[in-house]
Amino acid sequence: QEFRFGSCRAKGVVLQELWEAFWAVKDAVRAQDNITSVRLLRREVLQDVSDAESCHLIHSLLKFYLNTVFKHYYKRTVEFRTLKSFSTLANNFIVIKSQLQPSQDEMFSISESAHRRFLLFQRAFKQLDIEAALTKAFGEVDILLTWMEKFYQL
Amino acid sequence: HLAEDTSDLLQHVKFQSTNFENILTWDSGPEGTPDTVYSIEYKTYGEREWLAKEGCQRIARKSCNLTAETSNLNELYYARVTAVSSGGRSATRMTDRFSPRQHTTIKPPDVTCIPKVRSIQMIVHPNPTPAHKGDGHQLTLEDIFSDLFYHLELHINHTYQMHLEGKQREYEFFGLTPDTEFLGTIRILIPIGPKESSPYVCRVKTLPDRTWT
Repeated sequence: QEFRFGSCRAKGVVLQELWEAFWAVKDAVRAQDNITSVRLLRREVLQDVSDAESCHLIHSLLKFYLNTVFKHYYKRTVEFRTLKSFSTLANNFIVIKSQLQPSQDEMFSISESAHRRFLLFQRAFKQLDIEAALTKAFGEVDILLTWMEKFYQL
Repeated sequence: HLAEDTSDLLQHVKFQSTNFENILTWDSGPEGTPDTVYSIEYKTYGEREWLAKEGCQRIARKSCNLTAETSNLNELYYARVTAVSSGGRSATRMTDRFSPRQHTTIKPPDVTCIPKVRSIQMIVHPNPTPAHKGDGHQLTLEDIFSDLFYHLELHINHTYQMHLEGKQREYEFFGLTPDTEFLGTIRILIPIGPKESSPYVCRVKTLPDRTWT
């Protein structure tokens, strides 16, 4: 079992465990997000991503989730008693990201295209109040996992 | 002016999904009266506008089929119900965020069990869904879940079963005793879901052995 994002490989992660971790916290997180008219991981961010782009994009997204979403959301997990599941998600994201080596000698347009997609997501995140944005981003981990599933080889 | 609490009019608004047939259901609250009417709206997560579901406006029943409106497997949806009682009181309640792919449950497969003298053949038929590809091509469960496979068991006696597993459609259990009844169960399994159907069950008797010994 491994992820294959174009030429990038990430082993040692069982996708099912990520799903189970997310489902364990989903209700507690989603109960805090009543903004139904804003979606951060919109279609334009994740739809029709080429293999070559995928490594650049997943690297940026995981980096953002680790450095921004999980980092600031951590203090709420105690409140929601979701620390264990939260840690499972965060640790597995670290494992994946640490193995990704987005190729630098690919055409500039590929990394640029991936970066534009990431900026769409980041801009939508910044347009919300930080607390609402953190909750919404965490509540959209299932959208990220659904997209990652396409690159997962059993 | 305190907002009137009308939660007693409407409860348990949720999607019930089986093989991507997505039905919105709800219950009237303790104060619900038989002449309370319900109107349904739905939307894609991230959109601003709620859309009225034609055919489910001011209805008395407590379910509404939203399969056509929620047919994109990778989308996320919301629906909401507004109940209006005869006395003019109203209440509106929304579903949780609904993902057809994550939330649908899987029906038992459709299987033909064919007894022979010393074997039983099992043919699993495709599992169509209401979901379609962009080009209108109807999708089966196998199209949607790349990790889907079948798990077959033949119960020989109380303690002994034979097992077969795979992605193909045709299977055969060999080495059986003629003119004997067997119980077969066939399940659909989707590891990444994880999803598992309840079993399709067939009870078959192998044919008598008419060869001269």
